[in-house]
Amino acid sequence: MTGRTPLLALRQISKYFGAVEALVGVDLEVHAHEVVALVGDNAAGKSTLAKVVAGALTPDSGLIEIDGQPVSISSPSAANRLGIASVFQDLAVCENLDVTANVFLGQELRTTAGMLADGRMESETRRLLRHLTVRIPSVRTPLRHLSGGQRQAVAIARTLIGNPRIVVLDEPTAALSVAQTAEVLTHIERLRDLGLGVILISHNLNDVRAVSDRIEVLRHGRNNGSFPATASHESILAAITGAGSGLL
Amino acid sequence: MPVAGSQSSLREANRAKIVDAVKEHGGLTQVELTGATGLSPATVSTIVKELVGAGFVEVRNTVRSGRRAQLVTLAHRVGLVAGVVVGHRHLRVAVADVTHEVIAEQTLPLPADHRSDTSLDRAALLVVDLLERVGVGMDELLAIGIGLPAPVDSSTGQVSVRGILRGWDGVPVAQVLEKRLARPVFVDNDANLGALAESTVGAARPYHHAIYVRASHGVGSGIVLSGRVHRGLGGTAGEIGHVQVDPAGRICVCGSRGCLDTVVGGAALLEPLRTSHGNVTLRDVVALAADGDPGCRQIVADAGAAIGSVVAGLATALNPECVVVGGELAETGDILLGPIRDALRRRSLLNQLTPLEIVPAALGQQAELVGAIVLALQSTDVFETADDGLGPMPELPAAMQKGTP
Repeated sequence: MTGRTPLLALRQISKYFGAVEALVGVDLEVHAHEVVALVGDNAAGKSTLAKVVAGALTPDSGLIEIDGQPVSISSPSAANRLGIASVFQDLAVCENLDVTANVFLGQELRTTAGMLADGRMESETRRLLRHLTVRIPSVRTPLRHLSGGQRQAVAIARTLIGNPRIVVLDEPTAALSVAQTAEVLTHIERLRDLGLGVILISHNLNDVRAVSDRIEVLRHGRNNGSFPATASHESILAAITGAGSGLL
Repeated sequence: MPVAGSQSSLREANRAKIVDAVKEHGGLTQVELTGATGLSPATVSTIVKELVGAGFVEVRNTVRSGRRAQLVTLAHRVGLVAGVVVGHRHLRVAVADVTHEVIAEQTLPLPADHRSDTSLDRAALLVVDLLERVGVGMDELLAIGIGLPAPVDSSTGQVSVRGILRGWDGVPVAQVLEKRLARPVFVDNDANLGALAESTVGAARPYHHAIYVRASHGVGSGIVLSGRVHRGLGGTAGEIGHVQVDPAGRICVCGSRGCLDTVVGGAALLEPLRTSHGNVTLRDVVALAADGDPGCRQIVADAGAAIGSVVAGLATALNPECVVVGGELAETGDILLGPIRDALRRRSLLNQLTPLEIVPAALGQQAELVGAIVLALQSTDVFETADDGLGPMPELPAAMQKGTP
């Protein structure tokens, strides 16, 4: 869906770690109702870019716009306030807590008396999981009893607290079985259907091409081609490895 | 072997009739069984008792039209079957019991032009995972039915027309999966499976002659004549997506000019929306049309008119009792069905005795998946397998082992 103001626009973002050029003049646009995949080799700058969007890293130069307005994302909580939610590779879920407690971790609902509103949180969790068509038998199950795919689902459900507009997913299908991958990819389709903009980072071109609207290739911290989801596996691979011009 | 016409051969034939009817419908009450087989209530009752004793069927109490009734189903321990449907952008896998009841299901989004090796590998893994999910071992899986979005030659189980499904030409689909799962695999075209499902347990169940139209990324149809799916010599029967509608049109993937698919296939539907809506997917178009987006409604309605004129031709040639419309586009309801109905209403031969029925698929998006399950069930010999587990069955006759071809 082009032609409108993008939900999120990164313009000429650069980030250096000493002599390491992590990002050099990178551009990225994400629209509502769109899944944009970031692909690239190891150390291409995918995760760095995700951290910039999530507020975990501040770029050395460049402009970030939300709805066309310049913003500064100075911290993860600032990102949250701007409607950006992220799930990183390590998920950061608590094994010993149940599904509801994990979903509301750090953003618990309270009653007017200041007590935890357990009932409200549980029903909200159920609603979120239903929205994502997640198959988890009980919201009171501790996370250690759940499969990798279900944990990923809990982490994704957590991002939906506070009605974000952009969700960043860093390698959500890494180390998952085919069935769990199927579930997570279905959740990503649901996020898109809910009207969110999704940034999907993955090594697996098959998964990426299955759910993305657009694929942005990064190579050595630079943009190296933008492809529609229907582009061939080979042309994307060529851009990732630097074999082609990136303008196929 | 009993002599034909003797009393024992008659009883064998009657047993086979009852078992086939139960197998076909998944579950029937004893009263319905008399209707389905034409046997007397006393005969049905006696044979059902025998079959219960042999452990082939189960009887449980149910209610039909407010009265108590005895529902007869094949015994569950007879096993499970798996259905797999390969779509252009989704892979759907389900396991079901012999009553066509889907026990577990999973959908995997697929990339455009997905490769046969990766997709079949994932299909095999998903089948195994689903069986684990329902707590059943591989040994209880009887068979796998798989549907492909291309014409399939049922004798070889391969895609029979080159170029239609990129990367799947010459792939021995059944053998690949049989090797992985060590179970019989039956392959068919997805629209044929939709037709099979709708005529067995769906909207076309009351009719002998029906056409199932599947409108999705491509258009196809399945033809049911005298209660059986008609596949044709090379499995291309009902491929309405490759009927010429525009003699000066574009070249289709099949190599011919101006096929219906070049006008209403996925790419052709999305192209005119590029200026107004940008990059949208078929799923978006269906959702937007249902929400009342005028541009998307126009696209779907025009597709309905184009499909309708081809279906009108097919229906005039075949004289069906009903046309069932399924596939993703049918989710828009009357936006698609209305123009198809109009096109069929205009053909006088179609509405001679009664108006031709045009109905949405009763199984909705499940139709092809249920069809794959029905195919697997109809193609397997439930009894041979049951024999293994239940010991000798001296009374159970050879006539029953024929099953449905």
